[in-house]
Amino acid sequence: MNEIGGVPLFFLEFGDIVAYFSPFTLTLFLLALVFSVFVIVSRPERQIDIAFGADAFFAKEISLPELRFRRFMAIACGLACMGAMVTGDVFDFTLFVSLVGICNVGIVAAVRTYHVQDAAYQYGLVALAGTVPLFSAAAIVAATTGTLSMLELASPAAPAVPLIARALLVLGVMGEGMAPFYAAKAEMFRAPGAPYVIMCSLSSLLIFLRVTEVVLLL
Amino acid sequence: MIGELLFGTVFGLLLLGIHRKVIARIQRRPGPPVWQEILHMLKFSFKTTWVPATASAALFVGVVLVAIGIWTAALFVVLSGESLLIIFAVYMLHKIVEHGFGLSSGSPYGKFGGVRSVISAASEIPLFVSVAAIGLFTRSLMISDIVAYQEVHGPLLLTVPLAGLAMYLVVLSKMPFGPFSIVESKELVSGYKTEHFGVWRAGLEVCNGLKTYVLLTTFLLVFVGSLPFLLLLLGMVVLTVSLSFACALCPMLSPYDSVTVQTIIAGLMLAYVSILVVMP
Repeated sequence: MNEIGGVPLFFLEFGDIVAYFSPFTLTLFLLALVFSVFVIVSRPERQIDIAFGADAFFAKEISLPELRFRRFMAIACGLACMGAMVTGDVFDFTLFVSLVGICNVGIVAAVRTYHVQDAAYQYGLVALAGTVPLFSAAAIVAATTGTLSMLELASPAAPAVPLIARALLVLGVMGEGMAPFYAAKAEMFRAPGAPYVIMCSLSSLLIFLRVTEVVLLL
Repeated sequence: MIGELLFGTVFGLLLLGIHRKVIARIQRRPGPPVWQEILHMLKFSFKTTWVPATASAALFVGVVLVAIGIWTAALFVVLSGESLLIIFAVYMLHKIVEHGFGLSSGSPYGKFGGVRSVISAASEIPLFVSVAAIGLFTRSLMISDIVAYQEVHGPLLLTVPLAGLAMYLVVLSKMPFGPFSIVESKELVSGYKTEHFGVWRAGLEVCNGLKTYVLLTTFLLVFVGSLPFLLLLLGMVVLTVSLSFACALCPMLSPYDSVTVQTIIAGLMLAYVSILVVMP
């Protein structure tokens, strides 16, 4: 296979679906794993806000039910990220990416702040729209090449993947949280709960990095 | 490898010291001695250290280790001639580190620094353009292959100068006191690193030293090719001085302008690589 992310270290087979660990995908996988562990073991910070018009400040507390829900969503996001980093199947990749989008909305949707909920709603709409080009890309790849395996598609003998499929894949990932659709997501970072919120930005960067490799590979 | 890691850290900090000195001399100030950043790192290593009461303790401490870990990995990737895509990944993930530093403390200054880091996501696009342009010419993203290609065809800096400029801008955007250094500007005290003091700050200094060393080494390897070790170090000093001139002569942009300028640069670079793809 094309060694864009370095020579694959090992393959993990689930029937005809193969996950592969190259230096590149392994690096991304480990980072998703490390931050997922942070989500599990960390308590959220108490975000300090300054009270305007007075010489005072207050700390935002996160209630236990909210903490539990957001932690669950952040762990789910971490798992989806890990899957997206190592999967060798185009359709699985699109599934994991759309799951990342849903989890990102969930991470902040429990925050009872107008701006955060508004941003989560807007981001949710963009992420939802992003799934259309994402799954279209997978459908076009399957229809034109007869396979969804990245390993098969990367071989020189494989039929060429249409440029439109690659473009739609990138567009779909952008919809799930990269610039320029990042504007709504940036507002989501107002939310307290650093270990959970950081999963939103981490997942976006990770899926962007992986799609770069996937597009170059196909 | 441990020796190279220590050397990379110390030399990277020395480069940051030279950076501060040159900026100061351009601005007609005496400036600190060039080894000041090394002294900072040593000083912070022995300062009293604790975790702020409002912080998310595990993340507050863990993100320092992640910062050192990713740049250590990047150094080994460069030394072993592995994929340039991993350097690209580490560079982008440094943003998460900055975000983590800023958010984990609970301080509004840190939070603003972290959020500014996230909103300036466009600064990574020129690096992607560099990687894409190099891949188009060399047909490989392995650093060892890129170096070998240049031994036959000459430096890539002459073949794809705009890709070199894109990567230069990427390095510039990560240099302190530069036009894009909004994440640690003074109205935010020290931005994302405001609440990390003592050993945590020493860890961050180590990360900064390694980051500078890795980015400059990558630039020289990828655009100039394999150089004798002393010439490589000299090249890094020359690059640092040129970056210092850029930082000293350009005022720090406002966050909005910084993002706008970075987005425009990213757009131009994407157009450039599109032309490279279309042209035979």
